[in-house]
Amino acid sequence: MSGLWLVAQREIITRGRTKAFVIGLVVSAVLVAALAFLPKLFSGPDSYTVGLVGGQSQALQPALTGPAKEMTIAVREFPDEAAASDAVNAGDVDAAVVDGRRVLADGEVDRELGLLLESAHQTVQTQRQLADAGLDAAKVAQAMRVTPLEQVSVGADARYASVRVGIASLLVMVLFFLLIYSSMYVAMGVIEEKGSRIVEILLTSIRPWQLLGGKILGLGTLALANLVVIILAGLGAAVATGFVAELPPGMTGIVISTLFWFILGYAFFAALAAALGSLVSRQEDANSVLTPMTMLMTITYLVAYFSAVQPGSAVARILSLVPPFSSMVMPVRMAGGEVLAWEIAVAAVLMLLATVGTLLLGARIYQRAVLRTGGRVKLTEVVR
Amino acid sequence: MIEINDLHKRYGDKTALDGVTFSVRPGEMFGFVGANGAGKTTTMRILMGVLTADSGSVLRDGRPLTFEDRRRFGYMPEERGLYQKMRVAEQVEYFGRLSGLTASGAKKATGDLLEQLSLTERANDTVDALSLGNQQRVQLAVALVHTPEVLVLDEPFSGLDPLAVDALAGVLAARCEAGVPVLFSSHQLDLVERLCHSVGIISAGRMVASGTVDDLRDREGRGRLRVVVRGASPGWAASLPGEVVENGDEALVSDVDGDGQDILHLAVKAGKVEHFGWQRPTLTEIFREAVA
Ligand SMILES: Nc1ncnc2c1ncn2[C@@H]1O[C@H](COP(=O)(O)OP(=O)(O)OP(=O)(O)O)[C@@H](O)[C@H]1O
Ligand SMILES: [Mg+2]
Repeated sequence: MSGLWLVAQREIITRGRTKAFVIGLVVSAVLVAALAFLPKLFSGPDSYTVGLVGGQSQALQPALTGPAKEMTIAVREFPDEAAASDAVNAGDVDAAVVDGRRVLADGEVDRELGLLLESAHQTVQTQRQLADAGLDAAKVAQAMRVTPLEQVSVGADARYASVRVGIASLLVMVLFFLLIYSSMYVAMGVIEEKGSRIVEILLTSIRPWQLLGGKILGLGTLALANLVVIILAGLGAAVATGFVAELPPGMTGIVISTLFWFILGYAFFAALAAALGSLVSRQEDANSVLTPMTMLMTITYLVAYFSAVQPGSAVARILSLVPPFSSMVMPVRMAGGEVLAWEIAVAAVLMLLATVGTLLLGARIYQRAVLRTGGRVKLTEVVR
Repeated sequence: MIEINDLHKRYGDKTALDGVTFSVRPGEMFGFVGANGAGKTTTMRILMGVLTADSGSVLRDGRPLTFEDRRRFGYMPEERGLYQKMRVAEQVEYFGRLSGLTASGAKKATGDLLEQLSLTERANDTVDALSLGNQQRVQLAVALVHTPEVLVLDEPFSGLDPLAVDALAGVLAARCEAGVPVLFSSHQLDLVERLCHSVGIISAGRMVASGTVDDLRDREGRGRLRVVVRGASPGWAASLPGEVVENGDEALVSDVDGDGQDILHLAVKAGKVEHFGWQRPTLTEIFREAVA
């Protein structure tokens, strides 16, 4: 057993301090965190500065800066139209209202700001005209106070639908990225040891399963650490931007299930990568020998992506039970909506069986192929 | 004692080993020589268990070798294998630990070994920053770090400078004296002759000669006399029986039957005999003869 730990430890230390790993870690965390800021970037600024010219315009001020607005409006007064127009051109103010009649803007007025100015203008003008018509000002103000419409959803928790799809699609990308690069590392490590014949020395000291297991365990630990860092970065950014309030309930469950399914999926694909990698001795042959694995992984990615967009579809429901697709489709479905408990249980048992089977078969192939010298070993020579 | 018994190995329809048999005693340094492709590496890989023989056995003190036995062997494969991106000391320690040393034990053994192999200054460099010969020294350190009970080294001297050869020879001799059987292959026959107690010559998968270096030289030396006669007249050796090569005062007589006393008599008649003795061949000569 200690052989296995020593191998795992070596993988963690030597791979963990490579530039490639550190850069991958930082970039993936930054990318995911940046995604949490995206909604903010696209919704534009939510504070504006408005210039006002003349008494007619100044009457707008209470309506603009009043309470319970989604944006904050700062107001600046200008003595005449020319000064206001200069300020608009210089970008000091987003728009300027002249004499309560015209709006000056650099090009078009920002849509949301335009709506706000229009509604404030409506309110003020209506109040003035009603007052001019001899109605009591206080009564008018009273009558103008309207309770805004309340949004009520009649679908099943549809409030979070779009956020859930977003999280699920993000998950697909992160899982795919981590699975493919860590399985590649496993294969490359196997080929390095076989090609340089280090394996001859290693296998006179430890058993093949210790070498293989240690490698899968060590690189898996690094990948899992990377996943945890990505999740923390994403959640941290969500908290920082206030986006966290819009996250659906049960995020902890989503995170835990993601880690669980990632471990299974990784073990499956890593065993496959090790078995295939042990057939060749040169890194140049890695791509061609790994094609079956990368194909399978890409198909898994595509169906998982489809499931992220259509979590309730029959295809998604069926594939979320079938290994190895389930390793990505199931966590994506769980993030994207409600999944029945029995479905999760069946998927987990099947994937677990498939993973154990692949590990055993992979270890067998590895053991037989890794000490073979000469050219590429045929799969048929080592499976029997 | 390590015994190799009647090993056979075929690759497809090519026979690599055809009944290889020899043994290495504790404290014996055994040189394994043979032409390219003769089967040295194949034999050593079977001995180390990284290749299985078609038939035959490898015994240690009469019992078949087990994995646990081999864990305590030191092995240097023909194709050098090191992690290129790993630091020298770290790497030697790692292999020491895999062979069962404790963390502190591995650290200490590594320090001592790097010192003996003059690698202390390179301890923190990655392997790929070292010259080929220095990588070779690291490879040796890996094979030696766990004070192995048996040493199996495939061409350990290739690529080393004369100083490194001496350093390695010293290390091996010390291990040998401590009672470790040492088996190594080499193409540098003068070195083998100088270092080894015993040699085995393999040719096309068969052992063509093996035994102690002295025995071999004596045995092969029988039948060849070197005679030096001062002041003999030219053509003096023509009358000697056997195949004669005359070169001034000196004559080499091959294919001598018996003890050569008849030749001595003839030489005495020819002049003043200054030298008369069996001409022991060098290992290189024995090798040429054996694999021809
Ligand atoms: N994987 C293999 N497939 C086919 N033939 C092989 C293989 N490995 C070795 N052989 C053959 O077995 C024979 C013995 O090879 P081996 O490597 O043992 O020779 P060697 O004595 O170590 O030679 P060298 O001095 O060149 O290292 C050679 O004829 C070689 O071609
Ligand atoms: Mg060889």
